[in-house]
Amino acid sequence: MSTSSEVNLKQTLRKIEYPLCAKEALNKVVELVCSRITSIKHMDLALDLMSEFIFYEVDRRGNKRSQGLTPLLELQLIEILFEYFNSIPNESIRNTVFLSLFSGTTAAMRLGILSKLVSVGMGIPSQTILMMASVWMQQLGSFSQNSCKLAESLVQDYFYFSPESTERLKSLPSMCPQFTANFMTAISENYFSMSRREVSCPPKNLLEILKYWISNNYSLCIAAQQRPAVLPPGAIAMEPTTPIAGLLKWCILAPIYKQDINLYSELHLALLNSILEIPRTNPPKAIYAQHLAHSINPILAYVNDLKNKQELKLDKILNEDALQLSLDRYAQAVQVAHSVNAIYGHVDDLFNQLKQLPFNKLLSIVISTYNRNKVIVL
Amino acid sequence: MEIDLEISDEDYVVESAKNTLKVNPISAKAWMITARTLYPNNFGVQFEAYSIEKEAGHVKEAAKYFSDLIGKFQQQAELWKEIEKITVALRAETDTTDSEKHFLCEMFKHISSDVQHKLLLFTADHCEDTMEHCRLLLLLLQRFPTAISSYGPRLVDTLISAEKHSVDGHYPVNSYRKLLVCDLLPLLASEKVKIDLSSKLLYKLLHKSIEFYLCYLGLSTMNVQEMEPKVEDPWTRLFGIIEFIGKQLNWEPYLTNFTTNWSKESYWQNIISFCQSKSKNNTLEDKQLLFCLAIFFLYCLYEYNASLTPESSPGQICISYLLVEAFTDPSLPNPVTEPKSKKRKSDGDIVHNTVPYITVEKPDLKYIHSNFLVCVNCWDLLNSSENIQREFIKMNTHLKLDPWLSGFVIDYALFKGLYDEALMFLQKISDPSLLLYRHLRIASILYMKKNYSSCLEPILLALPLLPTNNVGSLSNNLIVGGTQKHLHYLPLTRLAILQYLVKILIRCIKDNIIKHGYNELSIGHIFTLVQLDWPQEEDFIPPLLEQIQQHRSFQYHNFQSYIINVDILEEITYLWTSQGGQIHLDILPHLGQRRIGTRGSDKGIKEEIKQAIRRQIMRSNEKLDELLINFIQNERTHILQCLV
Repeated sequence: MSTSSEVNLKQTLRKIEYPLCAKEALNKVVELVCSRITSIKHMDLALDLMSEFIFYEVDRRGNKRSQGLTPLLELQLIEILFEYFNSIPNESIRNTVFLSLFSGTTAAMRLGILSKLVSVGMGIPSQTILMMASVWMQQLGSFSQNSCKLAESLVQDYFYFSPESTERLKSLPSMCPQFTANFMTAISENYFSMSRREVSCPPKNLLEILKYWISNNYSLCIAAQQRPAVLPPGAIAMEPTTPIAGLLKWCILAPIYKQDINLYSELHLALLNSILEIPRTNPPKAIYAQHLAHSINPILAYVNDLKNKQELKLDKILNEDALQLSLDRYAQAVQVAHSVNAIYGHVDDLFNQLKQLPFNKLLSIVISTYNRNKVIVL
Repeated sequence: MEIDLEISDEDYVVESAKNTLKVNPISAKAWMITARTLYPNNFGVQFEAYSIEKEAGHVKEAAKYFSDLIGKFQQQAELWKEIEKITVALRAETDTTDSEKHFLCEMFKHISSDVQHKLLLFTADHCEDTMEHCRLLLLLLQRFPTAISSYGPRLVDTLISAEKHSVDGHYPVNSYRKLLVCDLLPLLASEKVKIDLSSKLLYKLLHKSIEFYLCYLGLSTMNVQEMEPKVEDPWTRLFGIIEFIGKQLNWEPYLTNFTTNWSKESYWQNIISFCQSKSKNNTLEDKQLLFCLAIFFLYCLYEYNASLTPESSPGQICISYLLVEAFTDPSLPNPVTEPKSKKRKSDGDIVHNTVPYITVEKPDLKYIHSNFLVCVNCWDLLNSSENIQREFIKMNTHLKLDPWLSGFVIDYALFKGLYDEALMFLQKISDPSLLLYRHLRIASILYMKKNYSSCLEPILLALPLLPTNNVGSLSNNLIVGGTQKHLHYLPLTRLAILQYLVKILIRCIKDNIIKHGYNELSIGHIFTLVQLDWPQEEDFIPPLLEQIQQHRSFQYHNFQSYIINVDILEEITYLWTSQGGQIHLDILPHLGQRRIGTRGSDKGIKEEIKQAIRRQIMRSNEKLDELLINFIQNERTHILQCLV
């Protein structure tokens, strides 16, 4: 495409009113990003078209618009996007366009539109939208900031703003198990997280639905790993992260944050059962050792905190029920995950780090069993 | 949390699971999962995990854990105990009262069929008791029909040889036989594929089945042990086996089909058409005919015998019926006989006369008659060819059915008029419960053979055996019009039997009067006897009165004892009046000497006779059955005089 035809194209599009021009621009973007020969020039044009004609971010001179989309226009744009993606039969093309629209440097900027589009996809529901969002999360990393923000926004929509709609979400796993798995992974990072200024706990209805999803389908957690993302040739598919380690952390930390014990023990059991169902792979890929180690520091911090307060004697602190329950769950999780060879990464490091924790009989049994079996293997 | 440092790690984990179970079953499961992954090769831990799930009533989990146990720990005695519990539960699956059994059955359903199959086969092989082994294999075949073709024939052999060597193996009804005949064969029959059994073995199985069911039904004199639980619907099951074995032996399908649209009539037609189409001296065909016909005959006979004592309505006494020679009266109109015999009438009277007319007490008993006729047809066919007759005799010798057949054989002989044969069978009867039947029928046959003087003895023997608790009523069907042979199903009640015996006596005495001429004693006896079912036989009286008038005097010294019927008393009194011919009545023995005397004394006699007749009239409500029994028993010598 020559420079003059580029100009012509833009001129033509500018004659169409927004947001109708978005539809035309989308057609052009597909051509550009999915053509057999892609050039930097094509990509630049596609990016231009997106920011000017689809997302309404810059004007004809490329300057940032002082005002963004009005809510009405935003809604119209989401409708256009929704209709547009649902009309593309080829999954690979859909994913390519979706990733081009919502990743890269502009990802954070367009997250609002993306969240609303996926929210609509969950509500309608639309398998097409959910599958694209799933692949998007996977490629960006489910623990990535953008994924977590998307998840947070969806949780806001469904569990805070309209908590009564959770009943409808019960069938989400059967609609798109891969999305549900990646969604759960991202959610798991949003709570009980030390990286945040204040540790927050998930709302009860969210906890209930997660327990419901997992206990009704023990292979749900690994669903994303069981179906590779459909991407254009040459693209590198990222290995999805399962929600197992993240959610186990919730269950392990819940007692010391004085959270409802029963719901967490049910979630914990559902997770253990899910771990037992993980098919053996070589190398293992379901649970990353370092993720599993995430609970260590919060527990140590908790113990230190108590020590610093100096209200209790040390042996009282160490034998506190909440702490011991935490450690029991921790030991159970590590043991079961290890028994089915589902942990990857530095397993030895994990077990070494576990030794820093306060004494717990089960944990000591688990660690010594690990060491004993390791000797036999050697 | 207190930690007991004494206990082992394994025990600590298992104990923690158990302790948690009381407060939080969900957490307990997490503990148990951990324990199982920590000690995958420790039977105690694995079995405990199973026990906890079992106690908690978690079917799926228990099934999963149990499957693991079966795979890993076959040497453990405790596991075998559990396996045994499962197999016991599976055999009593319908028993839902025992919650553990119910749970185990449910759990079994959740075990993969591969493991189920293995479990049953292992258990059977592990089992030292033969009976148990067979039961388990049977259970395996019931659960896994695909295993039938490979294990079915093996189990047949095992059961046959186990029966041979078992303590009660010489009884045809024993537990091995029951398993073979009632459970295994129907199971083999339900399988669509052809099962590989030799024809010799098939005939053996057929024999064993027939023997089992006939003995079970109590038709054989062979010893039968009590069988629990009861076998439901033995005939249907036996037919099912014939159907199965017949199919294996390539018998005519229409001869072995006892299920769809089956009726005795249509099956009989099938037998007839088979006989017509079969070639002579074909052993295979003869064998099918023998087995099918024999079993059909025995079934019809079973129904016939059962119909002879129909079920009574609640609260009423059961009445049995016995086929006897009954009576005809040529002066009465011939009853409208069956359309069949009517048709035959055109062929000639001979045929008509040879078909006896059979009556029953009331129309709803007609099926006794039709049941009988089917048996007669079968019996005729069984005896129609030497070959079949010989084979049936062989079968009967083996099955020892003679006592059970005897009732019908006598009925058949009566039906065909083979009196000598019937007498021969009757004389053999010694069973005390059958003595009344015996005497009744002998009396009946001797009367038919006109051997009147011998008739009294069986009648006298029958009288003390009359039922006392079943009075019944007088029959109206003992006499029909016409001259053809008449048979009747006599209700075995006190009154009906007595009535029948009295009728025989009346006819014997009357025939002798015709033969020997006027006999006052005979006439008096007839007066006495006809009272029982008066006025059924009042027609006998006028000719006798005429004879008395001709002889101008009538002596009957039993008058005061037995004649109490008002009509008869009136007739006798009339004879005595001037209009009646002033017949001299010598009915008061003590007046015999003063027969001829002065007018005055004559007047006194008249008064005494009047008084006597009045006294008799006063007695007219007395019980006639007792009166007549007394008469026959007390006056036996006087009665015999009239029979010679």
